[in-house]
Amino acid sequence: MLAELPASRWNPAAATHLLNRAGFGGTADEVSELARKPAREAVRSLVAKGTAANPQKPPSWAHPDPDRAARLKAFREASPQERERLQREQRQTQRARMVELEGWWLDRMVRGADPLREKLTLFWHGHFATSAVKVRDAYLMWRQNDLFRRHGLGPWRTLLREVTLDPAMLIWLDQAQSRPPKPNENYARELMELFVLGEGRFSERDVTESARSLTGWTLDRLRQEPIYRPRLHDPGVKSVLGAEGRLGLDDILDVLTSRPDSDQWITGKLWTFFAGTAPGAELQQSLARCFKEQGRTIGPFLETLLISEAFHAPEVVGQRIKSPTELLVMACRQLGRPLPAPAVCANSLRLLGQDLFHPPNVKGWEGGVAWINANTLLNRHNLALLLVTGENPLPTTPRKGTPSAPRTRRGRPAATAPVDLAELLPKTDRTSAERILEILNNRFLDARISAKSRKVLGDYLSAQADLDPQELLGLLRLTLCLPEYQLC
Amino acid sequence: MHTRRSFLKSTAWGGALGSTVPAFLAATFDHLHAENSDRDVAPATGKDSPVLVVIQLAGGNDGLNTVVPLGNDHYHKARPKLGLEPKTIRKIRDDVGFHPALRGFEELHDEGRLAIVQSVGYPNPNRSHFRSTDIWMTATDSDRFSNVGWIGRYFDNACAGGPATVGVAVGRQSPLAFAAKHPRGIALENPESFRFTDLDGGADNQAKGSGSFYRQMNSSFDDAPLGDPANAGGSVAMLGGTHSQTSGGSPLDFLERTALDAQVSSDQIREIANRFRNASPYPASKLANDLRLVARLIAGGLGTRVYYLSQGGYDTHTNQTGAHQRLLGVLGDAMVAFVKDLKALGQSDRVLVMTFSEFGRRVAENGNAGTDHGAAAPLFLAGTRVRAGWHGKPPILDPTSLHNGDLRHSTDFRSVYASILEQWLRTDPRPILGTTFPTLPLVA
Repeated sequence: MLAELPASRWNPAAATHLLNRAGFGGTADEVSELARKPAREAVRSLVAKGTAANPQKPPSWAHPDPDRAARLKAFREASPQERERLQREQRQTQRARMVELEGWWLDRMVRGADPLREKLTLFWHGHFATSAVKVRDAYLMWRQNDLFRRHGLGPWRTLLREVTLDPAMLIWLDQAQSRPPKPNENYARELMELFVLGEGRFSERDVTESARSLTGWTLDRLRQEPIYRPRLHDPGVKSVLGAEGRLGLDDILDVLTSRPDSDQWITGKLWTFFAGTAPGAELQQSLARCFKEQGRTIGPFLETLLISEAFHAPEVVGQRIKSPTELLVMACRQLGRPLPAPAVCANSLRLLGQDLFHPPNVKGWEGGVAWINANTLLNRHNLALLLVTGENPLPTTPRKGTPSAPRTRRGRPAATAPVDLAELLPKTDRTSAERILEILNNRFLDARISAKSRKVLGDYLSAQADLDPQELLGLLRLTLCLPEYQLC
Repeated sequence: MHTRRSFLKSTAWGGALGSTVPAFLAATFDHLHAENSDRDVAPATGKDSPVLVVIQLAGGNDGLNTVVPLGNDHYHKARPKLGLEPKTIRKIRDDVGFHPALRGFEELHDEGRLAIVQSVGYPNPNRSHFRSTDIWMTATDSDRFSNVGWIGRYFDNACAGGPATVGVAVGRQSPLAFAAKHPRGIALENPESFRFTDLDGGADNQAKGSGSFYRQMNSSFDDAPLGDPANAGGSVAMLGGTHSQTSGGSPLDFLERTALDAQVSSDQIREIANRFRNASPYPASKLANDLRLVARLIAGGLGTRVYYLSQGGYDTHTNQTGAHQRLLGVLGDAMVAFVKDLKALGQSDRVLVMTFSEFGRRVAENGNAGTDHGAAAPLFLAGTRVRAGWHGKPPILDPTSLHNGDLRHSTDFRSVYASILEQWLRTDPRPILGTTFPTLPLVA
């Protein structure tokens, strides 16, 4: 079994680590409040939070389109030119909504009442990576996002079934169009390769036989709901991973989720996401065993993971590269500033390599060191300028037809407000370079500043004449460019 | 030693920039590469060395509707909906032609600037996008795993001591193909934004501004030495693709190293991109834009040996016809514009373009007017020094010759790599590919 963190090692530093990984970081008050609880209780308080207190209502359009039938009819009857106009309008509406949706989700991460659930939703979005580029319907993308929020902590098999029949997924991997006698293999393949088992743990025949088994499940495009059409189901005998019979969707899910490969695959993925490094063979075995013993339910498993000694090991703490989303959300929280406008956020995250709702492919984002290259690192450094000073140096290269980030009349991306220096670095604290560096080190770097970075910031401070606001903004910006700031 | 340092400054940094790089940075750079200073082999950098441009067709290009067999009953029987009308095909020989959208390839072919290698693949083909992409990028057998890419191994073996820009991936991600023991290669999306912007939005090297301290941050190792330079950033998992985190440098080492690379190369690349202009027009597409940038960087003498680009969208499971038509149109038009531009810039004799895709698609169409993941497919080489025409054996579509409904390969993709390494990049392919593969005469 997984060894638990000894009580003697549960302290504010461990609570900081927990808040960083299970959410988007905590303030000094949140850290000390959490550290005062016993470790088990602290972890449980994060996992078992309710979403009821969230200040954010779903977007106004987050429901099935009541005029859909009329809209489709009008489209069918329109002239070719009219049809093209309607299509263009529809594309523009959907793209504007996608930007709104991205801002809505980020706001839940920054201000929401249940950060762990949002963090886990981010994990599921990367795991069941579905792109709006093909789905082209903001309501369906919101619906999938909400599915992750509602089922993300629940039983693994239930989550899989919900995802399989999720309208966005039905479109994304072509299950909506799969028909006998030549079923589309796209969903069946990725279900096994990416979602449940992993590459090399099934045969090509398992793919084609599963695809046959899943036929019948399709999308009711009018009602925007999944539907089972018995006449489209292939009722023949199939053979998948040793199971044989007239298999259907539920048989396939039973076969897949009861395999040890499945326990290993999903727990390994969760561990890698939260710990930031892949588990070794022994740890992997323990994780899989815990998961199975806990009835293959995500919430209790996460509790075990977050309280394990391995999760609090030195090679885990402070060694994970923040994803672009985490960087943006954590920076806004630490700087005590609101999120930039949704279009600015969307543009920034795209340039940093994590275009939310538009993953590069069905495998999602590689994560870890793959977030960092010369290009994305420079963009991170320039995002730091935007967040600290409000000046936006990032180029706006919106996806075709997306409303672009606000611009000034001279064509430069518009500025937002700078951070509140009086709150971040109160005048009474600006007594010495050491004091200022200590504040920054604690607030932004979890007290892990390197000797080299301390010297760079110290040299900067001693080169400044009078520590005017502009110079302090420069200091904050440099802090956010430090290599250790990219880690948490 | 003195000569060696002068050499590094004048060639590895592209000459023109030597004087604008702060002295402490130059010192750091020398320090970083001191390990190589006693090597006999000079890194292949400079304005005259050959350049390879790799274009990845991501998603699995349908080879059979790219190079189309003519007068083949098996083809039309397997593809009642997707089979292309013989009269629309751009006929090259009696028995084969290009997809109607490939006017670009037809033009390149007619000018003797296109080589077609047929039926390229590997034994025991894998039908996973991700796994098969990794196999192509690492050049391993399909049951072997590696976290070092074939181009990365070329960097390690033949370009030691070269600048970070020895490999340039245009886009947001570095490919696994670049992953190396001593990681090199940068990703670059847009030269204008490839810079650190200071507080006033201006230059980043005024004495008092945060810019000069930013430079210090990314370069001075006097208080905290980098440690063993051979291990700095040794986590080769960084370059995209599928791979485990490997032994080597910590994430912090890796971040420091990347920041230094970013800073040195951003000066250089912006300077070149601003100074050099393209000599002929390009069509409007992302791929064409990326190639346009590559042409400028080549003309500007950036010491890059391999450029890497990607065109996505080839995973055509449903309604393939329109999508494939658009993709191939973009590909052919962009490539022909690129070759023309290089010719006008006087650079074409040192540039070779190679396409690849992780697999072809099934011979038979599926029930959604699309095709599922398959195996062997043709790949293309373009340039003025390519040995134009047909290489390898044509695919055999007879159902009795297929393997689980897929075309069998007759040329291993590593034979293509070996030929390029030997004939174009002029290096011994053996240490890079691990073993000997028969070569094809691909370079004239």
